[in-house]
Amino acid sequence: MKLLIVEDEFSLRQSMIEFLTASSYLCESSSNYHDALEKIELYDYDCIILDIMLPDGSGLDLLKNLKQNNKTDGIIIISAKGELDDKINGIEMGADDYLAKPFHLSELSVRVSSIIRRKSFQGMSQMIIGNISIDIQAKRVMVENKELDLTQKEYQLLIYLAINKNRVLSKNAIAQHLWGDDMDFPDNFDFIYAHIKNLRKKMIAAGSEDCIRSIYGEGYKMQIA
Amino acid sequence: MKLFTKYNRINITATICIFLAGSVAFYFVLYYVLIRQLDASLKSEKQEIAEYIQSHHQLPEIQNTKEQWIQIIKTDQRETFDIKRSIPVYNKSEDETEYIRQLIFQVSVNKESFLVTVNKSETETDELLKLIILVTLSMVAMILLFNYLINRRLISSIWQPFYNTINNIKDYAANQQALKLSKEPIDEINLLNESLNSMTEQIHKDFYALRSFTENASHEMQTPLAIIRSKVESLYQIAEGKEIMMQQLLAIEDACLKLSKLHQSLLLLTKLENKQFILNESIQLQTILVQKCEERKELFQSKQIELLLNATDFNIHFHQHLAEILISNLLNNAIRYTAAGGTISIELNQNFLIVSNTAIAGGLDKEKVFTRFYKASDTGTGLGLSIINEICTSAGFTITYQFEKEMHFFKIGFQA
Repeated sequence: MKLLIVEDEFSLRQSMIEFLTASSYLCESSSNYHDALEKIELYDYDCIILDIMLPDGSGLDLLKNLKQNNKTDGIIIISAKGELDDKINGIEMGADDYLAKPFHLSELSVRVSSIIRRKSFQGMSQMIIGNISIDIQAKRVMVENKELDLTQKEYQLLIYLAINKNRVLSKNAIAQHLWGDDMDFPDNFDFIYAHIKNLRKKMIAAGSEDCIRSIYGEGYKMQIA
Repeated sequence: MKLFTKYNRINITATICIFLAGSVAFYFVLYYVLIRQLDASLKSEKQEIAEYIQSHHQLPEIQNTKEQWIQIIKTDQRETFDIKRSIPVYNKSEDETEYIRQLIFQVSVNKESFLVTVNKSETETDELLKLIILVTLSMVAMILLFNYLINRRLISSIWQPFYNTINNIKDYAANQQALKLSKEPIDEINLLNESLNSMTEQIHKDFYALRSFTENASHEMQTPLAIIRSKVESLYQIAEGKEIMMQQLLAIEDACLKLSKLHQSLLLLTKLENKQFILNESIQLQTILVQKCEERKELFQSKQIELLLNATDFNIHFHQHLAEILISNLLNNAIRYTAAGGTISIELNQNFLIVSNTAIAGGLDKEKVFTRFYKASDTGTGLGLSIINEICTSAGFTITYQFEKEMHFFKIGFQA
């Protein structure tokens, strides 16, 4: 899977490249409008991560260019302008998703994966993690031919953990992924622990290995060998 | 009081006073002059009589008229008389008291002494005086009337540009374009208009400078925050196995999150104060309320909070995004400040929305509850309620806080 990351801030670009490369994506990057324009004209990407405010132009113009050339690259806008109008504008102009800065890299990774899956039709709706197989389209989780009965939140949690497998995810990131960021969370995050516990119980009961680790109760990780 | 009314009041009072004083003085001067004239004619009568006596050595024959009559009385008194006076007499034919002017003097004819009284009626003088006063008074009245009318027309036409200016600035708001008041022929008003034009232009510039500064500052802040957050996330991977590092990273992440929320909140407050939202969407509060409660289902469960929701469906003129923020903030607050096992009850109808919840501690300070950074505990940004307040203000809703029976009540009235 090939990604293009267009972001002018060096550190942030570097973090995204590291994170997404570790999630076995092939990452290319651009730090400005002209370089990015050249790249999108020459190559096709599965997903483009696009910052709006670039030193020599606007990410929205790149978006326009892509749409005019009938490119089907998935596009996710990341912007410091966490404003509703920008979000609506971006989506109306044909972006697939919008993420306001600051965001969690794990969240970005989930969004990218979901865009790529939506864009490609064959063979991508199946996700296999150890002995668990997830049918994304049907929203069904099977453990060795036994179906897991999960609530919506548990299902979302499983996908999130699975996409970011072998990574430590903080309680914050999990809470924000599941409940969005217009909520504020009680300090103890007990309810996340409860969800993780239920998910683990169901998975173990179905015969899956116990692959979700708690990292001192501050974060969680799905460990897949 | 209008400027014109005030001006007229002073002007008319002063004019009446001056004319009154003038009329009184005029009356006395006129009276004095007329009496002097009467006296002069009385004197010339005396002169005539004296001359006649000197040349003829006898009293003249007297011919009395209606206006002038002479009485001659024989007297024994030797001293000389020369009296001028006005006395009232009763006039039978006209049934009124009239004043007459008398000159009394002594003459001697053939060693005999006579007292001569020359009388002249003052009626004519009086009538003349009356006529003159009447003319004067009617002139005064006419002057006043015309003055009033002229002033009224003139002043209202002269001041019209001033009133235009006032009307223009009355509805001026900072987020509006600078005023473009027209040039006027009157210097003072022209100066006023020019000053106002340049003032509002400055206000307009400052307003936009401040606005873009706030927005840019907020946006620029988000990128470093995004970097911090992404680096923390990378560090988590290394921190595995080191509990203390995990905790510290989580604290950094929390602070990061809080900072970015704080920025969003301040930006929102600034926008609300600047009236940057147009509230013209027809929205269903009930739908939003139900959805936001549903999103928080797990939060209610984890704190064993009982939710009593009683909402009717109706449309209201408002703003979708603001309505969501309003309801989210109310719910967040209620959840945060409800004791475990408590109750949150929400009532929504066309007139009001009441969110009440079991309090953890006592009531909040009614005065301060909606001020920025007022916090009952150390969680949260302290901006939630001031955002709610600002949203209500901009939508013309009322918001009140009550503490009753260990419950917090927040009531939003939709009809102001």
